[in-house]
Amino acid sequence: MDPSLYLDKDTFVHRLDPRTKMFLLLGMFALPFVFLNPLYVLAVLALVLFFGYLAQCLANLRRIWFILFMIILVTPTLWAIVGSGRTPLFLFVEREALLYGFTAAQRIVITVIAGMIFLSTTRNEEVAIGLVRLGIPYRFAFAVSTALRLVPTIVATGLTIGQAQRSRGLDLDSGNIISRIRKHLPLLVPVFVTTVRSTNVFSMALESKGFGAGSGRTFYLHVAMGRRDVLVLAIFVLLLAGCIALRVAGYGGLEGFTR
Amino acid sequence: MEPEVRIEGLTYRYRGQQKPALKGVDLEVAEGEFVVIMGPSGAGKSTLCVSLNGLIPNFFRGKMEGEVRVGGRSTREGKVGEFAQEVGLVFQDFEAQLFSTNVALEVAFGPENFKVERGEMIERVEKMLGQVHLEGFEKRTPATLSGGQKQRLAIASVLAIEPRILCLDEPTTDLDPVGKLGIFKIAEDLKDRDDVTLIVVEHETEETLDADRIIVLRDGEIVADRPAREVLRDVELLQQSSVMPLQVTRFFHEMGLWQGQLPLTPQEGAAEFRRRGWRVNQGRHGRLVGADAKREEGYGEPVIEVEGLTHRYPNGVVALEGVDLTVRKGEFLAVLGQNGSGKTTLVKHFNGLLKPTEGTVRVGEGETREQGLRQLGQSVGYVFQNPDHQIFADTVADEVAFGPKIRGMEEGDIKERVEEALAAVGLEGRGEEDPFGLTKGERQRVAVASVLSVRPEVLILDEPTTGLDYAEQRSMMDLVKGLNEAGSTIIVVTHTMWVVAEYAHRAAVVREGKVSLQGTVREVFAEEVELHDAALRAPHIVSMGNELGYPVLSVEEMLEVTEEKA
Repeated sequence: MDPSLYLDKDTFVHRLDPRTKMFLLLGMFALPFVFLNPLYVLAVLALVLFFGYLAQCLANLRRIWFILFMIILVTPTLWAIVGSGRTPLFLFVEREALLYGFTAAQRIVITVIAGMIFLSTTRNEEVAIGLVRLGIPYRFAFAVSTALRLVPTIVATGLTIGQAQRSRGLDLDSGNIISRIRKHLPLLVPVFVTTVRSTNVFSMALESKGFGAGSGRTFYLHVAMGRRDVLVLAIFVLLLAGCIALRVAGYGGLEGFTR
Repeated sequence: MEPEVRIEGLTYRYRGQQKPALKGVDLEVAEGEFVVIMGPSGAGKSTLCVSLNGLIPNFFRGKMEGEVRVGGRSTREGKVGEFAQEVGLVFQDFEAQLFSTNVALEVAFGPENFKVERGEMIERVEKMLGQVHLEGFEKRTPATLSGGQKQRLAIASVLAIEPRILCLDEPTTDLDPVGKLGIFKIAEDLKDRDDVTLIVVEHETEETLDADRIIVLRDGEIVADRPAREVLRDVELLQQSSVMPLQVTRFFHEMGLWQGQLPLTPQEGAAEFRRRGWRVNQGRHGRLVGADAKREEGYGEPVIEVEGLTHRYPNGVVALEGVDLTVRKGEFLAVLGQNGSGKTTLVKHFNGLLKPTEGTVRVGEGETREQGLRQLGQSVGYVFQNPDHQIFADTVADEVAFGPKIRGMEEGDIKERVEEALAAVGLEGRGEEDPFGLTKGERQRVAVASVLSVRPEVLILDEPTTGLDYAEQRSMMDLVKGLNEAGSTIIVVTHTMWVVAEYAHRAAVVREGKVSLQGTVREVFAEEVELHDAALRAPHIVSMGNELGYPVLSVEEMLEVTEEKA
């Protein structure tokens, strides 16, 4: 199994400049917070899904569906209990609190899916170049992209170690919370030791390939802002402005909701 | 002329270590040479490698004496990155040194650091991938490559900087025979170039025949630095240095030939054998074959029965197709095949880590499908390849006690079992030591003990000898042999062919998801053509025996059946 999310396809989204995708990602983090009404937020979610469809990366949803499912289940329940509103629904739950719960759940889901689309369409190296072009030092940019790379590597190591320990009789699925956490020790220690060891080799290999030998570097990937990027960014800024205007004009709120 | 590498009086001690890793090493390597470094684990081979490009003294902390000059310049005078253009260093752990999202970007990383123009970079990437035979792989993710391909990619990524010296630290240790061959082919191409100096740390004696020089390191000191063929004929020196001597050479050495006359390869050996008018005693050879047959009859009831096993992974890849196999009590079975052939997938069905997509796997009384992993673990123990993937406890005893403890055994029983298991692996009395402070060979033993403590009937070992030197490999396999003689059924997955020949009773060759060949080891190794098709190679002494028409499995067997004169 390849634990990385990136899908090597040639879509219009893949071809966008990494900087454009970073701005879009930030924008998509902000957009759902403009509205309080879950129906309006639903429209934002539809937009994100449409974008993911264009990028041909919705297949990756299968890999994170469980997280999304839990968010959709837990968040509204939580808000229904702690939030308050005017219209009683049943027991101590008010209609507005429940609705806001749906909004909050969708906000998280949108953020997760937007992040997934970004990682599915942008190589680690492109993230690094994007950051460099934004004026961030290469060393830092490289560290960010390395962190992105490390996650799938650790997951893969963890799977192997899990098999080894289960073969010895480790059963992670039974017992109470505390004993379960204790049971993860046989997994965590080898994962940690292996990761530290391979990170050490990794940094030696980096030095041995001339990382940081001189100042400046060239890039194999060609990255440039084109007409397409300008157009996409312009449309998105208009959209964001439109949404804010709509909200200021009084649409998309949630009357009677208090925390 | 100034040599490419000049090392004078190099002594190095890592911080926190009592003993120096290298002691007073003097070494010169001329431009275009092909030098092989051999020696036991912990001899300082890797330390020597990392001192070439300045990782010592600039990256590691420790105390360095003496001088290392590369192209006339001392490694003390510059950063590691600056020496990268002189010395390309490829590490044994190829997984850890690949980090890009596709093959082309991996190769381009080095040139990017040295500000190579984009146009030239694209050309170089293409050229380097051609050099390591990875054309057409540009867009692949390194994680999806086989071990051999990954190591070749690691070499290309270093060659792309166009260093004058290429240093490979045990490049073939973790590879299957095909993967190894690929690396040696590259080394051969590079050797023919006068402008590249090649320094390779290698365990496999069979592959060092083409080197100009062999340097033998022991306890941080150079004990031999002579032309390759001369060192290879010095059987005693190699044995003292935990390096496996060439089998054919050892055979003739034991027969009492003078060192200078010793043949090296199976072909040379068979020719020399005939030239001297030696013969194979048919009666004695017949007794060897007879002993095989008798052992076959002596096994107990079947412990693992595989029928029509097909395994399909969730992504649709068919890893196994219609496999039939029976393992009987007391057998010592070797499962062979190249990486990706399905051999690991097969044995993971034996302890229930994987469930059959079609067909059945029966262990003991019932199908694995109906028994849980924990219940199966009671009868089938599985030792994974890398001991560091399972060791977690503070002391050796706690590590070994894990299996019995998790099965809820009593304190007294656990203690008894731990002691029994530690004694079985030769670590008695060392229960209180920190497992992380042990050598690789000892950690491997702890891993075996931690599986033995559950007292399984069947023991599966995945590549138990990888990363160990010859002496450690022998002692590991002698241990496994002892367990087998004490009644355990053994299944070994391995690439190391001499281990199979000398230790296993039966062998099953897995090729493209099917068992293509099975039988006694002698029968399997007699089929050299089929082995070759499965990308496997018989050990040298076996090839020589086959050439003479009498399959033998070890130097000892060859000695036993040889008659000097009628």
